[in-house]
Amino acid sequence: MIVQVLGLFARRLLVAIPILFVVSALVFVVLRVLPVDPAAMSMPPNATKAEIEMKRQEMGLDRPLPEQYAIWLDKTVKGDLGSSIHFRRAVSSLIAETLPATVELALLAMLIAAALGFAGGLLLFHLRGTWRGEAADLGSTVLMSAPDFLWGLLFILAFGVLWPLLPFTGRLASSFARPVHTGFLLLDTLIEGRPDMFLDVVKHMLLPATALGLAFSVPIMRVLRSSLYEIDHADYIRQARLRGVSEGRILLRHALKNAVLPTLTLMGVQFGFLFGGTLLIEVIYSYPGLGNLMVDAVRNADLPIIQAVALAYAAVVLIINMIVDGLYLVLNPRLRTV
Amino acid sequence: MTASMLEAKNLTVESRLADGCRLPVLSGISFALETGKVLGLVGESGAGKSMLGRTIAQLLPPGFSVSAGSLSFAGRDLVRMGAQARRQLLGREIAFIPQEPLGALNPVMTIGAQFGEHLSRLGIRAEKRRRDEAQVLLEAVHLPRAVQLLRQYPHELSGGMCQRVLIAMAFASRPKLVIADEPTTALDATIQARIIGLMGEMRDAYGAALVFITHDLRLAAKFCDEVMVLYAGRAVEKGETRDLLSAPLHPYTRCLQLAVPSLSAPDRDLFTLPGEMPGLARLAGLHGCRFARRCPNVGEICRNEEPKLSPVAPKREAACFRTEMTLDIKVPNQGIPAQPKLASPLLLVEALEKRYRSRRGLLARTELAAVDGVSFTVSENEFVGVVGESGSGKSTLAKLIIGLETPSSGRIELGGHDASDRSENARRRRLESAQMVFQDPQSALNPRRRVASIVTQVLEAAAPRLPASARQLRAEELLAEVGLSAELGARYPSQLSGGQKQRVNIARALCATPKLLIADEIVSGLDVSVQAQLIALLRRLRRELSFALLLISHDLAVVRKLCERVLVMWRGKIVEQGVTAEVFARPRHPYTRELIAAVPGE
Repeated sequence: MIVQVLGLFARRLLVAIPILFVVSALVFVVLRVLPVDPAAMSMPPNATKAEIEMKRQEMGLDRPLPEQYAIWLDKTVKGDLGSSIHFRRAVSSLIAETLPATVELALLAMLIAAALGFAGGLLLFHLRGTWRGEAADLGSTVLMSAPDFLWGLLFILAFGVLWPLLPFTGRLASSFARPVHTGFLLLDTLIEGRPDMFLDVVKHMLLPATALGLAFSVPIMRVLRSSLYEIDHADYIRQARLRGVSEGRILLRHALKNAVLPTLTLMGVQFGFLFGGTLLIEVIYSYPGLGNLMVDAVRNADLPIIQAVALAYAAVVLIINMIVDGLYLVLNPRLRTV
Repeated sequence: MTASMLEAKNLTVESRLADGCRLPVLSGISFALETGKVLGLVGESGAGKSMLGRTIAQLLPPGFSVSAGSLSFAGRDLVRMGAQARRQLLGREIAFIPQEPLGALNPVMTIGAQFGEHLSRLGIRAEKRRRDEAQVLLEAVHLPRAVQLLRQYPHELSGGMCQRVLIAMAFASRPKLVIADEPTTALDATIQARIIGLMGEMRDAYGAALVFITHDLRLAAKFCDEVMVLYAGRAVEKGETRDLLSAPLHPYTRCLQLAVPSLSAPDRDLFTLPGEMPGLARLAGLHGCRFARRCPNVGEICRNEEPKLSPVAPKREAACFRTEMTLDIKVPNQGIPAQPKLASPLLLVEALEKRYRSRRGLLARTELAAVDGVSFTVSENEFVGVVGESGSGKSTLAKLIIGLETPSSGRIELGGHDASDRSENARRRRLESAQMVFQDPQSALNPRRRVASIVTQVLEAAAPRLPASARQLRAEELLAEVGLSAELGARYPSQLSGGQKQRVNIARALCATPKLLIADEIVSGLDVSVQAQLIALLRRLRRELSFALLLISHDLAVVRKLCERVLVMWRGKIVEQGVTAEVFARPRHPYTRELIAAVPGE
């Protein structure tokens, strides 16, 4: 099994290389077509045309596009993502600061979506055919029809302002000194051995992650419910009943294990959307992640950052999809023997 | 007097329809089954034979309930028993052996996990003891390498192995009653014989009472002490197996017997029962005997009064007013068709091979030859049978000939053209001279198309400009050819019965007036009466339309009935071929002998 999963990972990583190539080239071309001038943006407003032109040459923006891409690619492969025009810092260090924050947020959001989705799916299945089931189904539609940023704003209003339960800006209260190990604060606070700090980080993430995950929980709920419903009629479930296995055990040990499979496929697809959705939520919650970095970069036509962030998004989605497929292989023995 | 393990008295199960109307799906069933005995419930699909098992487990479909009578297990009332008390019985004292062994095991749990779960419910807590016990039980059902087996998943086993596992699980608790619902229908004949033998062994070793539900009279004859024949929810005949089958008293039993082709008896025509068993919806308006519409002995009284199941001879009961006439039912002799003159060869297969690669792990690959150096010919208008177990390569052979698979090497010539030509034109030409009918009539029909459009589907490509009226005409013609009324053309496949669906499949294949029809197990899985109807249909069509047939089947008797020549396939090779009667009378290859020995009732 482990060999098969590793084999899958190896194949996926090989495929990931050309995909990242295409993504980077696409972003590169699109950014150069846009009518923005990073050189002008980086100079004081009273700079002369000649000065701007000199800056442009200095930045290499006067060279032909393929050459620019070749230079960028060459440096990127060597680990140098260039430096930010606006922040005047190495792009790689900016990414290293913000990427873990966003990944952490997205994973927690996915976890919340999955927890709500599984609980809801089991509940909907349990209530099938009753008026309560119908009502719960309708309720879940409401959850799904409101967009995540609306939930974000509502939560701030409800749990941040009207009933101040949870913080709603940043990642960590300013009274704490931020530990620096991996960049993943949930991990770093544990490494430091500071459960109080860990709790504070969770509190900061709870509102944005829930706002983000809420809408994604409903499709999980629905898919789980309908695959449970389908599996309930399967021969092996009937046979388990005929063996006298209890209903609870049938649901949790026999049916759920099979019903999880289509749900997992769905979650793999969802993660791509969810990761993109962090952008708005981060802005609303002033969460110092990739999204806020991206917004700043776009505002300032900070091309090196935009490029690197786009690449980071693509890489994260590819890696998560790879992990989901690996998990699928672990959970579905039928895929393991060819 | 011995106490009955399972006793039914006037058991009646009703279904409540949407309009509040109640219909009996099982009415007035009575029997008493003792320990160590096997009761056979025999009937075609829809006869209500599975309802008994479902009543015992209280797993009746929604809307169904026991409305009268009683059913008791060792003196305990099964109808009014609470869910909790019933669950205590299931798997401990009452065990079930299912119809589809592959589907009855959870695909994401190992055999060991499922076996362990059952044993732990039976009170064996220690992991090690569970493993030891499972091994002992698996060895008792003749499964070797039990240790390894417990680590495997169901999809890694064959259907026969899965059924052995399920039988081992069923007998693990030494149950007092075992219900086996068509336990061998999904299995090959050779495996079938072994599974039946195994169930007999287990019954003798553990002393349980057994209910054996089957549509196959021959199997019931082999295995049961007593048989009850069901028709449209009623018991029409009951008695000790030998008496009942040697001299049936109810015309339905007699007709079923005559509809089954035999492998060794002198060649005779099959009895074709007209029409179909009345379905649930039609039962309501039925007066008199439910079998009257199809009965060859029907009289005035049969249409007005319903006969009761009553004793007619010692230990014999039948529900018929005219039992004395039953044995006079004979197959109307249609005359054995003259051997058709065999013309030039139509299909020529030479040294055909199909190899599949499978990947194991990262690097290791194994190659498997599904069809391994096969050569034969089929002449124009000749009916040739291909027999063998599943996995012998017969279906792959069919797919290669029709072009659904590409041969690894070898030659196929169809009507003088090289059939391995992959060009679009060659493919078209091949489909004009050969057509295929698939095994599962249900899934071979597009559920969103009407029957008339399905049967004339080939015309869409062959004659795209054909006016709709001409196409409709052709559809009616085809439906008439396969014995279906023209009004069925407007229906969707889901509105047809299994036999009707298979007729539609045949009609569709005939639309292009092919010279060769390839039929993959087209009668297996259908009721014997429907099977006899289809066999008669194919023989009539052959006279009228003249085409060659390559019939793939694991049922030797069907092949004997239809085909002049037979090919026996084993592990991808043809091990024996020749004139059907001769091959079956004097088999030369040990594998052919094994196949013949496995046929029940011979």
